[in-house]
Amino acid sequence: MDMSELTQSSAPSRFIGGQLLGSSQLVLGVILAVLCIAISIAAPQFYSEANIIAILRQCALVLIVASGMTMLIITAEVDLSVGASLAFVGCIGMAVLNSTHSLTLGLLAALAFSGAVGLFNGLVVTRLKVNSLIATIGTMMMLQGGVYLFTREAVQNHHRLASFTDLGAGYIGAIPLPVVIAALIFALAAATLRFTTLGRYLYAVGANERAVRLSGVRSERLKLFAFVVTGLCVGVAGMILSSLMNAGQPTAGRGFELTVIAAVILGGTSLLGGRGSLLGTLLGVLVLKVIDNGIIILGWNQDLQMVVPGIVIILATYLDIVRNRANVG
Amino acid sequence: MSLVSTDTMKPGPSMLARLVARQELALLLCLILVIAFFSFTAENFFSVRNITNVLGQASLALTAGIGCAIVFMSGEVDISIGSLLATIALPLIIIMNDTNSLVLGIGGALLFGLIIGVVNGYLTAYAGINSLIVTLGTMFIMRGGVYLYTGQRAIPDDAALDSFIALSDGRLFNIIPYSAVIAIVLLAVFAYMMQHRPFGRQIYAVGGNPEVARLAGYDVRRVKFICFIISALLATVAGIILAARVGSAQHTAGLNFEFQVVAATVLGGVSLAGGIGSLTGMALGVLILQFLSNGLRGLGLPTEWQLVITGMIIIAAVAFDEAKRRRAIGG
Repeated sequence: MDMSELTQSSAPSRFIGGQLLGSSQLVLGVILAVLCIAISIAAPQFYSEANIIAILRQCALVLIVASGMTMLIITAEVDLSVGASLAFVGCIGMAVLNSTHSLTLGLLAALAFSGAVGLFNGLVVTRLKVNSLIATIGTMMMLQGGVYLFTREAVQNHHRLASFTDLGAGYIGAIPLPVVIAALIFALAAATLRFTTLGRYLYAVGANERAVRLSGVRSERLKLFAFVVTGLCVGVAGMILSSLMNAGQPTAGRGFELTVIAAVILGGTSLLGGRGSLLGTLLGVLVLKVIDNGIIILGWNQDLQMVVPGIVIILATYLDIVRNRANVG
Repeated sequence: MSLVSTDTMKPGPSMLARLVARQELALLLCLILVIAFFSFTAENFFSVRNITNVLGQASLALTAGIGCAIVFMSGEVDISIGSLLATIALPLIIIMNDTNSLVLGIGGALLFGLIIGVVNGYLTAYAGINSLIVTLGTMFIMRGGVYLYTGQRAIPDDAALDSFIALSDGRLFNIIPYSAVIAIVLLAVFAYMMQHRPFGRQIYAVGGNPEVARLAGYDVRRVKFICFIISALLATVAGIILAARVGSAQHTAGLNFEFQVVAATVLGGVSLAGGIGSLTGMALGVLILQFLSNGLRGLGLPTEWQLVITGMIIIAAVAFDEAKRRRAIGG
């Protein structure tokens, strides 16, 4: 286990194929394929264009936040406040939109707020040295309380701006706009992690923070960066969500943080830091959402949407461990 | 443990500084300050009735907190306890409705809790899966299972046994709620175990440094396995008290409970890194948060403010603790 972790963290392999085979993504790819085949045998309408677009649309919100969260978990930190922040951001964005009639200002307000939340989390973790699990539980509580102090009811959309409605419901060609936005953010984050010095440092900080600091790099800044990026992703997702719901809901985003973290972990990113990839996260999001979709298509009880992912997370992690052991031994 | 030894070795700091350096004393001071503050500012705060009420309310987090702290000390985490609270209420209420027997109901609930503890413990200690992932998974599975089974409706307690109702209403000598008595007894038993029994020492050793613990001949996996079972069983006891209080099995019972307990435990100085902390500290952490929320309500602040202030206090307390520790190492 230690061996494989070392080799994977220090040198991300050059070929995408090599990386696929060298990490948990192979297991996940097989799981995804099996799921798709099984569901489409039971329900042929699974492969309709409308259904595939519906799945992608449902993936978008999770994938946007998971892109930031993957970077953050690679640096060995975590953010549990994203669900609470998602709800708050939607309310603030909608309120600003209502009072200014400007989508730009609404978006800016949402990004400023969610970025500030990320900055706060990052400063608490890097300056005050508070464990990020605890720090972000604290932030989660403050945001959950704060959003109700801000508004007790949903902030309705008073000024039906077409551009705002498009954010959630619009299309570019045949592809929903949220999916396009998610793909852009995902590609940007993936490129940063794979091809830039910054990305390599993010892995290094997670694998061995001390070594990074001793080599003269400010590890705190890297972590701060990952927190702020995660915050900004929440801002984008929050605005899309409020566009989809046509309101800012203070109760939105309950349990969202757990779905996002589950997808990232499922994608093979190690909670200990230094190991993981965005490709894995994409597969993780797809697996979770294909399961959700399958349960609906097959007409099963929707409460299974909580049970099955729980089993899949544990199973996938276990298979990964077994495979690692086989590789080493 | 390490805190205590550095304190006794260094003669330097003043008496007061040394007292504050003892985690539990600092926490006790905080608790007294909180109680003193609200006694002067909030109406009806400093009364026997209110304080025993708070103890009763704190009993849930106190009981489950023992398990949470023990799992933390062994170097793992258990975030499935909130879902467990809702899950074990099902066998409890259903068996009681069928048999009119409190003992059978509690037996069924404990058996359920035991199974969950074995699953969590086996997957973590023997299968080697990260405990955050395992308990995140079982948290989803249990909550989803409860939703499935109940169809998102509460199952009422039709048996309405006096003994069961007494768990929420009854008071020892008409003063202390039975739930608080249960929590205090369990706390005393487990605090004794942690400080004076070999198994307690093994938990500290395993959490502090598993490699050294293994070399010392401890069965690291077995210790962690048992810690998860203890945690699940104590959460079961908390779940029974909660079911008695609401008089039904609620599918939403214990939502976010795991976060409250984790926060109080960490506030009490139990480190997520393992091997550090005490059950006394955890108990003080729970009481500080509970008195704080009760006092804020007494001042007429809406519950939302309680969340905000609690969140701030948790971050501030852990930051303060961390600064102190770094100074102790640096100086």
